[in-house]
Amino acid sequence: MNIIEVKNVSKSFGSKQVLDGLHLGVPKGSIFGFVGGNGAGKTTTMKLILGLEETTKGDIFVGGEKVTFGNTKTNRITGYLPDVPEFYPYMSAEEYLTFCGEFTGLKKAERKQRIKETLTLVGLEGNKKRIKGFSRGMKQRLGIAQAMLNNPELLICDEPTSALDPEGRNEFLELLASLKGKMTILFSTHILGDVERICDYVGILDEGKLKVSSSIEALKQTYAKSQIELSFDEAADFSILIAELNALIEQEIITEVEKINEQNQVIISYNKDYTDVAGVLLESLIAKKIMPVSLRKMNPSLESIFLEVIR
Amino acid sequence: MNGISFLMDHLPLLIPLIILQFTLMITALIHVIKHPDYRFGTKGMWIFIVVILQLIGPVFYFVFGKGDNE
Amino acid sequence: MKNIYYFSKKEFLESWRTSRLLILMIIFLILGIMNPLIAILTPDIIQMSFGDSLPVNIPEPTSLDSWGQFYQNMTQMGLIVITLLFSGTMSGEVSKGTLINLVTKGLKRSTVVISKSIYLILQWSFCMLLAFFVTWAYTLYYFTDDNSPHVFLAVFPLWIFGILLITTILLTSTVSKNSYEGLLLTGGFVVLLFVMNIFDKFERYNPITLTSENINFLQGASNIGNYMPAMLISFFLSLLFIYLSIVILNKKKL
Repeated sequence: MNIIEVKNVSKSFGSKQVLDGLHLGVPKGSIFGFVGGNGAGKTTTMKLILGLEETTKGDIFVGGEKVTFGNTKTNRITGYLPDVPEFYPYMSAEEYLTFCGEFTGLKKAERKQRIKETLTLVGLEGNKKRIKGFSRGMKQRLGIAQAMLNNPELLICDEPTSALDPEGRNEFLELLASLKGKMTILFSTHILGDVERICDYVGILDEGKLKVSSSIEALKQTYAKSQIELSFDEAADFSILIAELNALIEQEIITEVEKINEQNQVIISYNKDYTDVAGVLLESLIAKKIMPVSLRKMNPSLESIFLEVIR
Repeated sequence: MNGISFLMDHLPLLIPLIILQFTLMITALIHVIKHPDYRFGTKGMWIFIVVILQLIGPVFYFVFGKGDNE
Repeated sequence: MKNIYYFSKKEFLESWRTSRLLILMIIFLILGIMNPLIAILTPDIIQMSFGDSLPVNIPEPTSLDSWGQFYQNMTQMGLIVITLLFSGTMSGEVSKGTLINLVTKGLKRSTVVISKSIYLILQWSFCMLLAFFVTWAYTLYYFTDDNSPHVFLAVFPLWIFGILLITTILLTSTVSKNSYEGLLLTGGFVVLLFVMNIFDKFERYNPITLTSENINFLQGASNIGNYMPAMLISFFLSLLFIYLSIVILNKKKL
């Protein structure tokens, strides 16, 4: 079951079309990484889901309910962390959360309990300072606290890690990962490593369309390439090597050879079983006494998939 | 006009007036000194405005001079 | 309904912690004291600037002079300070994005507008009464004449006009991108009212009358009933402005 259904949504700002017939489904309980270059329309999509922007065309459903622009009821079950969360600088973190909590309809005792829990979760407990004195990272943490205050079924985070230092990023990702199973998380990023680390689904947005949307495992299988990377040191004789490899192509053991000069590497594509191909390859290298410094079976990284998808 | 007797006659007006003007000036002055992020102008300029221009000076500071994040 | 209370409470906290409320209170108190003081001093000042050569006798100041100062200062200083301090009340929230967190928690945009107008009107009432009672007390103390019988009747139209001005601030601030634009639009609206005042025909309908005829109301020289149209128009304009603010904020990108 999908908690978010975006159906054929288009969005234009004036003459500029940002989204073009976007379809997106986010499975309930997943951590969904929403990837795309700058200006691909990630923020716009999220704002549409939250009813902060009006769709030019198409419908969006959250938890089976239609999202309406302005005051959407679906926000009851969502929490949102904007890319740059803004607060009232004259309040303390606790005061701000109390203020937010008043609108969520939580009972007073429950509210106090939740505020305590979330502040502890983000490491801001007992901080009496006014928000105006907060660092960027502290604001980000307060942002996640306010987004999670009402125990949302759906948490939407817009580029939550881009403004954080490596340590803060690490903590933040761990925090998100720890929420798995408790809520569905949709988060956008342009850092593919983050997605690879914690997400189980990924959507790649490019030119206003969702180019890919699947589980990471399925994606890797689809884009898995049968390739072997061989690295040599400078002393290796590449002319002999290439001749040898071309001979293997003739024998239809491998299909393609690509030489990367600067790194003394060759990338070999094949379509047979890896063990057989690697065996023949190594034997012929030994025969010619050209020893590689490394032989590696290439696994597709999300990055290479991403580049291939948006090409 | 006798200055002293005039002052004495109007003390109920003058004392609170002076206290209020002073409070306003001090409030603004403390803010100017503690929050050096002005939308424009320098600390010296705002101190001058707040102290010299009674009433209007502090208002101007809070409307136009005070940084957004304070 | 509860949300209106919560958001109004936040408006109060904001006004207090950003020192705006304190500034307003001090200024309105100062205005309250200044009114009788200026009334008392005016003859002396004239005497001093003209010396003893002044042929005519300057009449002794009366309570009317003190109240005259009140109505002059409340409009020329009090309302202007309120306009200056709160002309960014909505545009600030929208441009900074402080409403996003709240709206995505289910806070209705109309609640924001209604709460802001309630708070601003309460604040105006409080400040006006502060100046009013201070001036009244001193006037009773220093001027023992009975030229000013209808103090409450005279101040009521001013209060109504203040409410109109506040809803104007709210609307212009919702329309504009920053406080300067809002200030300009509010100023434009007041200028428009003044220009319309040139035509005698509109006088009974023009809200600006509510700030210019108060001395006559005070003496009972002018029947306040004649200005009922201006008060009703102000009241309905205020409601219209609040409604328009809601409609516009509903369409705004936060």
